Amino acid sequence: MADVLVRYFAAAADAAGREEETVSLPEGATTGDLKRLLVERYGDEMARVFRSGSLLVDGRATRDEHVPLGARADVLPPFAGG
Amino acid sequence: MTERVLARIADTSIDVAEVEDFVAGREHGAVVTFRGVVRDHDGGETVTALDYQGHPDAEEFLRRVCTAVAAESGLPVAAVHRVGALTIGDVALAASVAAPHRAEAFAACQALVDRIKVEVPIWKKQHYDGRASDWVGL
Repeated sequence: MADVLVRYFAAAADAAGREEETVSLPEGATTGDLKRLLVERYGDEMARVFRSGSLLVDGRATRDEHVPLGARADVLPPFAGG
Repeated sequence: MTERVLARIADTSIDVAEVEDFVAGREHGAVVTFRGVVRDHDGGETVTALDYQGHPDAEEFLRRVCTAVAAESGLPVAAVHRVGALTIGDVALAASVAAPHRAEAFAACQALVDRIKVEVPIWKKQHYDGRASDWVGL
């Protein structure tokens, strides 16, 4: 198993009820694996975040489900700047 | 060529003149500035205030966008985005581009603002008159 620090922002922090936590995933786990785990854990509110949100891994925001995870992943709801 | 770029996330009022002055120059006959301003309505509802929250690396993302637009256009580019609690009429984003002639400045400023909205991790919580607040864009 590998530990991943997951940080939550804005609506994602509301959905998780926290700003960060460490989750354990099998070695070689991907962004898709993390997304499924978080939706299972936090339900519809988190599913809503991921509908148009992304994960930030290694400095890149991605919606690709096949990106290998590193030590940290940030859950980013859809951006609304400007 | 080194791009001339200003990119900043600010937690206090944006000085729009500073943003414009950064891009202005003797060779530029056009300075185009976009101000994103907090408005009092959205989707038919009355909005009373907004909270903007930025990712810790938001400034880095903003710099990447500004640098890309400056590189593609060959023009100086400046953008400052506000975070924190804003009220109606506050400037949330000031984005400026200068060019010798107006057409290039308008086009580059439009591209700049479009990309900031899509690529910079900033979130907006909207407060309404008479119901619970929500995050925009979900």
